[in-house]
Amino acid sequence: MAFTLELDRVTKTFDEFVAVNDLSFNIPAGEIFGLLGPNGAGKTSSIRMMIGITVPDSGAVRVFGQPLTRKLLDRVGYLPEERGLYKKMKIIENLVFFAQLKGLAVGDATRRANQWLERLELGKWGNSKVEELSKGMQQKVQFIAAVIHEPEFMILDEPFSGLDPASSLVLKDALLDLKKQGKTILFSTHRMDTVERLCDSICLVNQGRSVLLGVLRDIKASYGRSSVQLEYEGELPLLHDPTLVASSNDFGNYVELRLAPGADPQRLLAQAMQTATIRKFELVEPSLEEIFIDTVESTKAVSSHA
Amino acid sequence: MRNLFLIIRREYLVRVRTKAFLMFTVLMPLLIGGAVVLPSRLMIHAAGTKHIMIVAADGALANSMKSELASSRASDDDDASQEKKQAKPDYDVDVQTAPSENLRERLTTQVRDGGLDGFAWIEPDVETTRKATFYSRNAGDFIEATMVNRALRFALCERQLAEKGLSPAQAKTLLSPVNLDTVHIDKQGSNKSNGMGAFFLPFLLLIAIYTTVLVYGLYVMRSVIEEKSSRVCEVLLGSVTPMQLMAGKIIGVGAVGLTQIGIWGAAGTVLGTGSFAMAHQFMGDSMKDAHISTGALVLFPVFFLLGYATYSCLYAAIGAMVNSDEEAQQLQFPVTLPLIACMIFATAIIRDPNTPLAFWLSIFPLTSPIIMFVRATESMPPTWQIALSIGISVLSIYGLVWVTSRIYRVGILMYGKRPTLPEILKWLRYT
Repeated sequence: MAFTLELDRVTKTFDEFVAVNDLSFNIPAGEIFGLLGPNGAGKTSSIRMMIGITVPDSGAVRVFGQPLTRKLLDRVGYLPEERGLYKKMKIIENLVFFAQLKGLAVGDATRRANQWLERLELGKWGNSKVEELSKGMQQKVQFIAAVIHEPEFMILDEPFSGLDPASSLVLKDALLDLKKQGKTILFSTHRMDTVERLCDSICLVNQGRSVLLGVLRDIKASYGRSSVQLEYEGELPLLHDPTLVASSNDFGNYVELRLAPGADPQRLLAQAMQTATIRKFELVEPSLEEIFIDTVESTKAVSSHA
Repeated sequence: MRNLFLIIRREYLVRVRTKAFLMFTVLMPLLIGGAVVLPSRLMIHAAGTKHIMIVAADGALANSMKSELASSRASDDDDASQEKKQAKPDYDVDVQTAPSENLRERLTTQVRDGGLDGFAWIEPDVETTRKATFYSRNAGDFIEATMVNRALRFALCERQLAEKGLSPAQAKTLLSPVNLDTVHIDKQGSNKSNGMGAFFLPFLLLIAIYTTVLVYGLYVMRSVIEEKSSRVCEVLLGSVTPMQLMAGKIIGVGAVGLTQIGIWGAAGTVLGTGSFAMAHQFMGDSMKDAHISTGALVLFPVFFLLGYATYSCLYAAIGAMVNSDEEAQQLQFPVTLPLIACMIFATAIIRDPNTPLAFWLSIFPLTSPIIMFVRATESMPPTWQIALSIGISVLSIYGLVWVTSRIYRVGILMYGKRPTLPEILKWLRYT
């Protein structure tokens, strides 16, 4: 299989602080890959090494099967987490400038910029200055800057942040379209619902290390139908019974819980009915959010013991 | 290379298109030109026929003064007198030989109402006291007072010389003014020059080079802060190296500076002749020799570039270290200090450009571009000194670029707390 991106035992240290620790993963061509992790886990540090802003202390980064060089970066698009546009320049000037830096001629750049602006419903804003736009609109412009040179590989850091639901939808469609064209996309986010719907594979990083890696479907399947979603009214003291419940996320009248190893879901339902009215009881695969919290919590426990 | 060019072009176009550039380009020569031309213009407007009354019991003395005032316009025999004449008023002088308190009051009223521009009150015992009073509306009107003073002194001398048996013609020759030319000798030969002019022009050029180096250095700093705080540099670094980004910025902004200097130079060549002619009218001899050798003018862009390269590196490093303009202000002071020192020492150096202090300041890389240029406008220093100054400057710029690019490379990606000195030293060792 051809990999668009390969990280091979990459480590990056700033003074004493290990930002990325022995991180390895591969992204197959044409996949949408989710890079997840809590704040400060090392996502941005990893991404910076993928686009050559920083160089790993050890380990190797390969793109399109070759060691990373500046030349290869013309085939990569990057959307930073925060807006990176010249505020005093017009939208179209910004886009053409960034496209030129990626090797496009002015004519092509202008044509494509206008096409994208139309598509993302910004058609009439081309000649406005960036500072006149709302945050969400700027985010869309930033997205165009990342894809205008038709890169084969796109690295998007929190692409949906600041977007209203309608804009999110437009952007999601654009992403799926790019995927259909065979492009590879890496997401960095902590919005689990988006990841769950879009990503093929994920890597969960915490404290600079990879703690969970694989095809999303496989990961969820490996947890089995060991989770319970319960809609209830009343009290559920059984949530604190370690023989039944390994962990839970309680919203007051809705709870997601993981069964303790070997616990019988039927016994749990029976006990629950004694203290509360049950409106819905479903045995499901755990949501990514549960897996995320669970994994992060357990690695935290390990590291604090160590 | 293409990307470096794109960065340069963006920096250049963005800046040249701003209103600030236009204002600075137009206003700077206007300010400097205004400082030179305006006073002389005003003087010319003030000129015209002045109606003055001389009140003295001694009619012969008064008439002697009158003829001296009337002839004062022709008394200058140097070559600037043609221009000078326009700046001096004509005098319509009347003589009153019957002084009384009544007359004094009447004349005072006339001066106040504008019927008379002024009157000189000569006491009868003027020959012994050598005192007189000149009444006018404007106490600051020193030209009038000086003329009257001179006329009175002339009249008194003439009378005493006549008493000693000299003819009026002999007295006139004796009393005619002398012209003192100062000749300034340097290695290239000798130039007729004069203190005022020789001080004036280098000082203007000093202000010009100081301002441009400072302003364009700060432009670079602001540009770095802008890209850092807007996170644009993160996007750019996916396409260009930090070195290209910094170099592009410094070259682009520098090109804006050169453009501006070019415009000033062209405007100066066209307008300069005119404005200096006007300056001559007022300042006369003092401006006559205020010329700068072509060599010094050619050195302007050279030393601007050296000074700009030095300070833009320093300011770029500051920009990369901080997160906001406010933070930058604290750091930029120590860097600006040598520039300010240049301005402080410059006055002394213009007066005496060949002291050891002047020499060392024109060798020290943080002050050399400005001080060496100032020395060159005053009297061209030996070629080896200029070469040494440029050589040291180039070497130090080379070192500065090395240090700055390292600080820059790490700094533009660091947000949050401002780094401490040990941290910055650590940055230099990062690969």
